[in-house]
Amino acid sequence: MGRAVRDLEVASDQTGPALALEEVSRQFAIAGGATYQALDRVSFAVARGEFLAIVGPTGCGKSTILSLAAGLLRPTSGRILSFNAPLERLNRQAAYLFQQDVLLPWKTALENVMLGPLLHRWPRGRAAEEARRWLARVGLAGFEDRFPHQLSGGMRKRVALAQSLIVGPAILLMDEPFSALDVQTRELMENDLLTLWQEERKTIVFVTHDLEEAIALSDRVLVLAAGPGTRVIGTHAITLPRPRDVTEVRLHPAFREVYRTIWAQLRGEVLRAYADQAGARARGGTA
Amino acid sequence: MISGRFRLLPYQAGLFVALIAAWQIATRWGWVDPFFFSRPSNIAARIAEWFATGSIYRHLWTTALETVLAFLIGAGLGVLLGFAFARNPALSGVFDPYLKIANALPRVVLAPIFTLWFGLGVLSKVAFGVTLVFFIVFFNTYQGIREVDANLLNNTRMLGATERDLIRHVLLPSALVWILSSLHTSVGLALVGAVVGEYFGSARGLGYVIAQAEGTFDTTGVFAGMTVLAAFTIAVDMLVTLVERRLLAWKPAAAHAERA
Repeated sequence: MGRAVRDLEVASDQTGPALALEEVSRQFAIAGGATYQALDRVSFAVARGEFLAIVGPTGCGKSTILSLAAGLLRPTSGRILSFNAPLERLNRQAAYLFQQDVLLPWKTALENVMLGPLLHRWPRGRAAEEARRWLARVGLAGFEDRFPHQLSGGMRKRVALAQSLIVGPAILLMDEPFSALDVQTRELMENDLLTLWQEERKTIVFVTHDLEEAIALSDRVLVLAAGPGTRVIGTHAITLPRPRDVTEVRLHPAFREVYRTIWAQLRGEVLRAYADQAGARARGGTA
Repeated sequence: MISGRFRLLPYQAGLFVALIAAWQIATRWGWVDPFFFSRPSNIAARIAEWFATGSIYRHLWTTALETVLAFLIGAGLGVLLGFAFARNPALSGVFDPYLKIANALPRVVLAPIFTLWFGLGVLSKVAFGVTLVFFIVFFNTYQGIREVDANLLNNTRMLGATERDLIRHVLLPSALVWILSSLHTSVGLALVGAVVGEYFGSARGLGYVIAQAEGTFDTTGVFAGMTVLAAFTIAVDMLVTLVERRLLAWKPAAAHAERA
């Protein structure tokens, strides 16, 4: 994979992948002066306009991969390219949808969505106008003046989505964005995300621990090994027809089939992660 | 909540009337000596006289001025240094023991020194109040900046924020929550600074009025001064609550109730 990416690099910016990790490793210093090897020579590329899902057991470094792709973390070794340019600082092509609530609690929904445009020094009038348009687009017209705590969890995610997309990023990095939502809200959000993606043709990297969600949404599923020393252990193309409805696509016979294939691979890693954590607990460590 | 508070009003008022009546009767019928305990009717008459002749206003004005100045200067320095220390671990590392020592010192011992340095006027009281207000605001700002959610910072960075943008949109508003939560304490301490300073040596102010009355065994004057001071303190505290409500309008109601 690393070799393939290097070959692409020679090509012009018009054809290269939106994002490429080449032999990326990342260590963290932990208590007692030891280091924890989170990622071990991870390589993969995401094509422009592709919807890539990354699945793996808990604690396998999925979020670390996104932080690296966003430029919030630097790799210990290896290289990250975004549109063929090595990533030196924050990835300005990318927006990051965090798992946690990250709306500023002291700003209203509208002000939160306006934040990106204002930071990009847009005129205030234009920023407000665009923010209203985006809030309407994620189904929150009429909620402009609510503070985050006055919105439901699903609504806050919609505001966060509008906040990320308003400045027109080419890549959307999503870290289990819907994991805290109830099932119904979650399926609504997933369908809305697919609609938005189809309209905007963003490149999406979607991290989740939910294999069904990964298959229902993505073009390709990347399977990670359990940590420490996480590697990519498989990629699976999802050829289910589009446009998809996440509820209906689960009933498709091909869905069951690809689910079985990927789960066969993922299952062993999940059990290994579980055994490691149970072992750590038994030794008195915290899982 | 509001209705619950007003439900108790008759009992609260009843307690007040009973205490005042007992005091009045006890001093009237000679059970306690009015020389030492004065008498509510005399105190009320004294206060009425102060306001009728207007003699109290210059004292109120002086104490208010000292309180406001001590608060503004103390809070300003506290925010500035708290911010600088939170953003520079080296700076906070070097100064940490000295700040701890300075904060451990009972500040009252400084009042006479400040009178010596800054004279009997407004300045010495302001300086004393500043030493009280500064530490409260400083520690809260420091904590507020340090405890900013890293995800909030990263999200705002991803949206295109420079370090200066982060200060304006994330760090300061986040610290403001902590600073405001200590506002009642810090404004109260500014007032304590003013009054204690006046008590130690001054020519005007509520602390001066009380000290003066004590010096002449005028218990009525002492109690009248205390009453005016208490009313003034409550008024200031209500003002702070109004400011807080306005600045923390975005906060969920539950957090308000907890704070109150």
